[in-house]
Amino acid sequence: MMPLVLASPEEENIILRVGGSPEMKKHLEDMGFVVGGAVTVMNTIGGNLIVKVKESRVAISREMAGKIFV
Amino acid sequence: MDKQIRIALAGNPNSGKTTLFNKLTGANQFVGNWPGVTVEKKEGKLIVDKEVVLTDLPGIYSLSPYTLEEVVARNYLIEEKPDAILNIVDATNLERNLYLTTQLVELGIPVVIALNMMDLVGKAGDTINVKELRRQLGCPIVEISALKGDGVRDAAKAAIEAAKTGKTLPQHRFSGPVEHALAHIEEVTVHNLPEEQQRWYAIKVFERDEKVLEKLQLSAETKAHIEQDIAAAEKEMDDDAESIITNERYVYIGQLLKGIYKKKGKGQLSASDKIDKIVTNRFLALPIFAAVMFLVYALSMGTSIADGGIALGTFLTDWANDVLGEAWLTEGSRAILEGWGAAPWLVGLISDGIFAGVGAVLGFVPQMLVLFLMLCLLEDCGYMARIAFIMDRIFRRFGLSGKSFIPMLVGTGCGIPGVMASRTIENERDRRMTIMTTTFIPCGAKMPIIGLIAGALFGGSTWVATSAYFIGIAAIVISGIMLKKTKMFAGDPAPFVMELPAYHVPAWGNVLRGTWERGWSFIKRAGTVIVLSSIIIWFLSGFGTVNGRFGMVDELYGDETVVTDEYVAVVAERMGIPEDEVEPMDDSILAHVAQPVSVIFKPLGFGDWKPAVATVTGLVAKEDVVGTFGVLYNFDARAEQAVDEETGELLFDEDGEPVMEELEENGDQIWANVAADFNDFSGGHGKLAAYSFMIFNLLCAPCFAAIGAIKREMNSRKWTWFAIAYQCGFAYVIALIVWQLGRLFVGGMNVVGLIAALILLALLCWQLFKPYREAQKLAVQV
Repeated sequence: MMPLVLASPEEENIILRVGGSPEMKKHLEDMGFVVGGAVTVMNTIGGNLIVKVKESRVAISREMAGKIFV
Repeated sequence: MDKQIRIALAGNPNSGKTTLFNKLTGANQFVGNWPGVTVEKKEGKLIVDKEVVLTDLPGIYSLSPYTLEEVVARNYLIEEKPDAILNIVDATNLERNLYLTTQLVELGIPVVIALNMMDLVGKAGDTINVKELRRQLGCPIVEISALKGDGVRDAAKAAIEAAKTGKTLPQHRFSGPVEHALAHIEEVTVHNLPEEQQRWYAIKVFERDEKVLEKLQLSAETKAHIEQDIAAAEKEMDDDAESIITNERYVYIGQLLKGIYKKKGKGQLSASDKIDKIVTNRFLALPIFAAVMFLVYALSMGTSIADGGIALGTFLTDWANDVLGEAWLTEGSRAILEGWGAAPWLVGLISDGIFAGVGAVLGFVPQMLVLFLMLCLLEDCGYMARIAFIMDRIFRRFGLSGKSFIPMLVGTGCGIPGVMASRTIENERDRRMTIMTTTFIPCGAKMPIIGLIAGALFGGSTWVATSAYFIGIAAIVISGIMLKKTKMFAGDPAPFVMELPAYHVPAWGNVLRGTWERGWSFIKRAGTVIVLSSIIIWFLSGFGTVNGRFGMVDELYGDETVVTDEYVAVVAERMGIPEDEVEPMDDSILAHVAQPVSVIFKPLGFGDWKPAVATVTGLVAKEDVVGTFGVLYNFDARAEQAVDEETGELLFDEDGEPVMEELEENGDQIWANVAADFNDFSGGHGKLAAYSFMIFNLLCAPCFAAIGAIKREMNSRKWTWFAIAYQCGFAYVIALIVWQLGRLFVGGMNVVGLIAALILLALLCWQLFKPYREAQKLAVQV
């Protein structure tokens, strides 16, 4: 299990855990970051990530990506 | 007559909701705010049936209560109970979009799904069995293409039909332990609510939704009872209640789509991904961003086409200012009114007060429209979301969000739309901070002030203007860092997460409509405030008490019996000027008020009544500062007889009429007077005093119209006053430090002032460099 920040680009990973405060967790889950779902890092810039989750592209900060474990 | 049918349009952000709304309602739209919040509310009458009102809900992912948009949307759906929900679903992202659908169908309101972008699904070679999906979800589904307008009318008709007859029952069931708990909750807590809403309430109680629990006001006993059920389910499923429900929904959707959604290609990069590879590339992102922004700026606010640049905006604005505003409205109305023999005060009120004010607003409109057009283009094609992403890391360092960049860019043109542009920032703290700091950036109307100071005292040096931008940017950075460390702004940090829509060719209908909406709202807002304050300032500077008689000062000064030689001597002494320089305006209410007020500017180096009056009129419109100087330094604001540059003689035309010239925008005819006066009252340090004056006027509260925009966007009297007080206080402190410390180098040091400046500087540095305590705590909390 590793945080999403460390995942290699363009490789599909399965989400194992979503952490953070209840609000944050819920918001991430609402946007499609659910345990068991697939996530792919598409691009990184200055620590921020663009990830593919479900069929959408989501920009996410390093701090947030650190709370998603794959 | 039948009851009016109300339909709500709901869907994910970027699902084509706005496009569909525009297609369904055409021009019959009313834009407003949701009560109590600054989330925009749009309503419109359906083209297919004018009796039906369509309400555009904010784009949401879920009905949880964590973002303002979600709260607004669900309150509307629960409290106002529209007759039907038209749920727009992006077929290319079915799973995530249906997640919201599963929540909407629980509300007990008939739901009709508008399945958007089916054409794109087909293009990608994927298939969706719509018939089966319709059967499984238990609600009508209409395939549409919002962009092309296909199927849009059918969707509207289906929604109207559903509103009249339909009923949607949620078809999905959760797993055993959850349903068990839900059944219990329904039994003990929500049985007295309308039957069709019971399930939604039960689920929310299960999720321990604070807002719902608050509303239901359950007894402690009931709460304890259901808490047991929830805890039991949580234990069995090994997760918290909210996440259980979320997971259950996704699991349900996953199973639902198994037989329905067939994907052909897998793992290929879409065209949008390929563009992103370049545009958000770690090395290319910033240069591309800079190039795009430069182009936007150059086209709207840069050098006018007339002067060899490419700025269509500046070109049109120059024309609107000089021809439309100045020549036609102000002078035209004056000529007509004088032709009718109207009383001078009436001419003054209408021409100088109202039309000059209207003209000032109109002058900005073309430039703003060009700017809005380009921003709408960037937004519609999908680049705007990337800007926020690219800039976020930089802006985050001083407490702002990546989305703060756009308000500031717009602010270089005019602060009013700049402040309005802060709306797109969801996080309240980030938005407030952006609103407070956006007007530090020199706007178009502040350029004449900079031109005047640079021309009059610095020999037209270009570094004055350059430094003004740096001061503006530094003020934003410093304020951001300082405010971030205060209690008021130390709330939840907004961790960055936002969806990036796929790039697409802009839809012209959307772009033009968006441009016009923003432009019109700018005209309305700026227009009302500027016209009103122009009238007030016109009155204050045109009327006064002359030798015991109240009236229009210009008229009273024409009366030798009122303005006696002795009286002129009195006025001259009061204002500290020679007798032959006494003017009607010296007796205006404005001068009487400004004279004592000017004392507070003494520590800043310009404690003279003229700069004080100019600063006050700057609140009406910043470009008025130069106009006011024109009046105060013996230059008729409207026209002065032209002088032959070589001989120094007054010029006359062939008919013997005097040739009149107008005050230039940068006031170059009064440069010598201004320089002499600033040198005079500052004890020979005119440059420093003028620079301090410029800093204060750049940073202090913006014009009334922008203050009005701040009030609207803050949506709070307290925050508006705080913003204004902060801006003025910050401007005062910086100008004081510059003036007092500056004199250390140019001479004429004042010990008390220097100590005050050093203390303020130390406080500033302390606030800047003290550790950001909340950071650690909040980092854990995120």
